[in-house]
Amino acid sequence: MIAAALSIARVKFVLEIRRREVIFAMLLFIAATIVIVHFALSGDAGAGNRAAAGMLWAAVVFTAVLGLQRTFAAEQEEGALDALLLAPIDRAAIWIGAALAQFGFLIVVQLVAVPIWWLLFFQNGGPSLPTVLIALVLADLGIALVGTLAAALALGARTRDVLLPVLVLPLVIPIVLAGVTATYGAFGEEVGGLRPLGFLALYDLVFVALAWGTSEHLLGD
Amino acid sequence: MIARPATMIPLILSSILIPLTLAMAFWWTAEDIDQGLSQKIFYFHVPIALTSYVAFGFGAVSAAMYLWRRTEVWDLRSYVGVHSGTIFGTLVLLTGPIWAKASWGVWWNWGDRQINVFLILFLYYCAYFMLRFSLDEGERRRTASAVFALLGVGLIPLSFLAVRIAETLIHPTVFSSSGAAMPNSFLLTFLVGFAGMLSLMALLISVELRGKRTAARVLELQRAARGEDA
Repeated sequence: MIAAALSIARVKFVLEIRRREVIFAMLLFIAATIVIVHFALSGDAGAGNRAAAGMLWAAVVFTAVLGLQRTFAAEQEEGALDALLLAPIDRAAIWIGAALAQFGFLIVVQLVAVPIWWLLFFQNGGPSLPTVLIALVLADLGIALVGTLAAALALGARTRDVLLPVLVLPLVIPIVLAGVTATYGAFGEEVGGLRPLGFLALYDLVFVALAWGTSEHLLGD
Repeated sequence: MIARPATMIPLILSSILIPLTLAMAFWWTAEDIDQGLSQKIFYFHVPIALTSYVAFGFGAVSAAMYLWRRTEVWDLRSYVGVHSGTIFGTLVLLTGPIWAKASWGVWWNWGDRQINVFLILFLYYCAYFMLRFSLDEGERRRTASAVFALLGVGLIPLSFLAVRIAETLIHPTVFSSSGAAMPNSFLLTFLVGFAGMLSLMALLISVELRGKRTAARVLELQRAARGEDA
């Protein structure tokens, strides 16, 4: 099952590297979102650490939703999904494979976006980097899991493109809450300590369990 | 129309208990020292909120039953549960700000844990309807709705935790809800109100279920009359 999931994730990655459909769009989108949120909040550099932390997380979440729009799209357009469903593999493998690919896209995007965010806002000392990075990785995992799940549910819906953000955003509000708390805590303020990171890990576990339990129903028949 | 016990009992109970709550709230319980008259909304707001959770819970349990048993009636029950949960949820989001304005002076208090969690959950279950109605009727729609309704069960405790963790950030809890040390008359009125709202929910659920079933039956008969396979 793990082998199947990994090979599905690899196929998606190779396809993405050849076609460059998603990651470029996500990169431009995350940059635009950071700029928009920055100007929306104040427009000058004095907005403070709280605003910078919020900007990062708002941008991360919206960018993830943009990327999720294309999950399963290639499979659906070219009929590969039917073949995958017929293949003698666990349905959970399809979902986990897609989630892993999504997780990979998010990491790639953040490898570019986080340094830029850092340069823009923290020339004179920023938050403790390990905390922010751990929070981002845990959150990316949760967003990828939950988002792929929602994308699977929305498969075949008439209004798929509008529907997906509506399904995903309420689910990731807890991630944003914990992520912002962790990031703000990384500035050395006394907020929450390690609890937000623990929470993000717990979130991932809960939704892995829930999705695993329902995965045989996920992708339709 | 034959009155069935599933409809009649909640109808009778709710039409007694809800007016009774009103009467008890205004003539029997004492006025709250801190909040005065505005505290009376507590006997409605809190029972409505709890009832809404019960309705969402009913929707989620029915969704699990659907995934297990695969019978259409559980799908209908799950839908109706989420639907009435959303109706009560709308009432919560209307009565909450009224109370907040009267006792804290603001329409919305972002520092209040309950209302924030409720807002997340309400947004989530509103999306349920978008999902359901953009899928074509059939097996796929029933399954997707059921899975989505079930995921809400994970979201409730996680939202509570997340809001608690972020509370240190949002702002410290200044207001504590009128909790543990209630006089007996307050508690009793609250319980009567809760029972009234629960029976109102049961009434809504049973009436809507009957409507849905009748509609399905009419469709079946129409098909039979046209000579198609029922």
